[in-house]
Amino acid sequence: MIGIDELDHYELLEVPRTATSDEIARAYRLSQQTYGEGSLALYSMFENTDAEAIRERLDEAFRVLSDPEGRAAYDESQPVDARSTMPPSDSSAPKNGDAQESPVAVTPVESIDEVLDDYDAFEDDNGGEFDGLRLRRARLFRGYEIDEITEVTKVSGSHLRNIEDENFGDLPADVYVRGFVTAYAKTIGLDPSAVVPSYMERVLTARSEGQRGRFLGRN
Amino acid sequence: MAASMNSSVKQAGDSHRSANRGARLLAVGGGKGGVGKTFVTANLATALARLGKRVVVVDVDLDGANLHTCLGVPAPQRSLADFVSEREEDLGKLLVDTPLANLKLIGATHGNLADAQPSHLRRVRLVRGLRQLDADIVLLDLGAGAHASVLDYFLVSDDGILVLQPEPTSVENAYSFLRAAFYRRMRLAMVGHGVRQLVTMAMDQRNERGIRTPLDLLREIEATDTLEARRFVDTMRVFRPRIIVNGARTAEDVKLGFAVTSVCKKYFGIDAEYLGYVNHDDEARRSVSMRRPIVDLHSDADVSIYLQRIARKLLGLPATGSSAGAESAQSAEGRVRADDGEGRRASSVRPGEFR
Repeated sequence: MIGIDELDHYELLEVPRTATSDEIARAYRLSQQTYGEGSLALYSMFENTDAEAIRERLDEAFRVLSDPEGRAAYDESQPVDARSTMPPSDSSAPKNGDAQESPVAVTPVESIDEVLDDYDAFEDDNGGEFDGLRLRRARLFRGYEIDEITEVTKVSGSHLRNIEDENFGDLPADVYVRGFVTAYAKTIGLDPSAVVPSYMERVLTARSEGQRGRFLGRN
Repeated sequence: MAASMNSSVKQAGDSHRSANRGARLLAVGGGKGGVGKTFVTANLATALARLGKRVVVVDVDLDGANLHTCLGVPAPQRSLADFVSEREEDLGKLLVDTPLANLKLIGATHGNLADAQPSHLRRVRLVRGLRQLDADIVLLDLGAGAHASVLDYFLVSDDGILVLQPEPTSVENAYSFLRAAFYRRMRLAMVGHGVRQLVTMAMDQRNERGIRTPLDLLREIEATDTLEARRFVDTMRVFRPRIIVNGARTAEDVKLGFAVTSVCKKYFGIDAEYLGYVNHDDEARRSVSMRRPIVDLHSDADVSIYLQRIARKLLGLPATGSSAGAESAQSAEGRVRADDGEGRRASSVRPGEFR
């Protein structure tokens, strides 16, 4: 009822059953860091064989949930009570009724995203504006390489680098840039609705001023 | 083991804190020395006091007491050692004022090192006495290590907080502390002698039954006695240690809190809660040498903001909310000394940023 061997794919990845494919991908990434070899959080806790077993289960969970058809089939195969009683926002809630609350109501840190946003805010004194430099820092801060973003978004590495370097002259038309930045933001877990308008504003300003192919970072 | 401590330990987990149980007890431990337990405790206490709570902070570390130094109090003449050695029965008489309004201290100076750990009965009386103090919140700074008395303070508290730093030794110690606390808690929850012995056996990692993890243990108990297994699971559900990552420098460090709670879930089957993190800050070190909590010295420094957020979370308040208002309301009475800080970063902290 509570053991790791009884956790379902969603519980393993610590995502709600309503998670989007992006959320699942990010949760899997985080779990790979948590349960990867040499992870600090595993230190002295799990033996190698156990950690390996967990990694295999996480891989399997991701393999199933990242494939829409596989996920649908998996959801279908789950018992109905698990599907209906699971609150969407709390995958860790006990499954079999009479849930007990924490002794004192404390709001834990809600999600890794919240932390990253806060941390970003501290790291970056640049108000709410997302320029290329901030995107780059956000990417590095979240531990993504350009190649990994390319793999997910199918946007070429040179475009992504031009976005970070604000080489607007080397980038295609606005509508494409908009699409690239949206995909970029989504992949690393930034909110596109915050990032895209801010970044596009910079693109449009620079282009209307006829500045082309120049680095416009703050430094 | 006396039954009274057992029942008080159980009570902390089984029945939830009722309105009449007196002061809320928070214990800050971490298994290892030097991870910033005392720094975190002193500053959380300060932050809670600044939020208008009447706070008593207690140095339970009879071997290495220095909480008073962090709070800018000269080594108290009266201390917990007087209670432990039965020279003083009234904890209220051991309270020492600090430079901060709303914040009082029970120090642990002048201990008799020969019997630094209080007897079991003494611990029971201590916990009872602490709850009866005239305060909203009593914060215990636990010593290093995982001595039975330290574990019991952790377990009887309403909130057991574990401070760890992003380094292997600290993580290892935090886990061994949690492991010890977990098994101690579980053993107390079990009724039958046989099942208790099973738990004791599981505490030895090289036990002959091959019980390696808490979940192995649960399986064994399930096979023996389903009622006890049910108790075991119920106890697991309410065992919720809280995690603070101190000294975070990178996102990787910040993520450690999530990773540790994830590992706790998958290893122990328990829901640890990631309370928050405190960034690494050299200024924080300086504040210790200045003998004043950084939250008081520079309330708008990054490190203070993180600490204050954790304090607000402990009170169930929104992470920032109207902190500015609350603070200005507090500052008149909340601080005896005027803030002589340079107001570092005051302008860079935008409202709503720390939602």
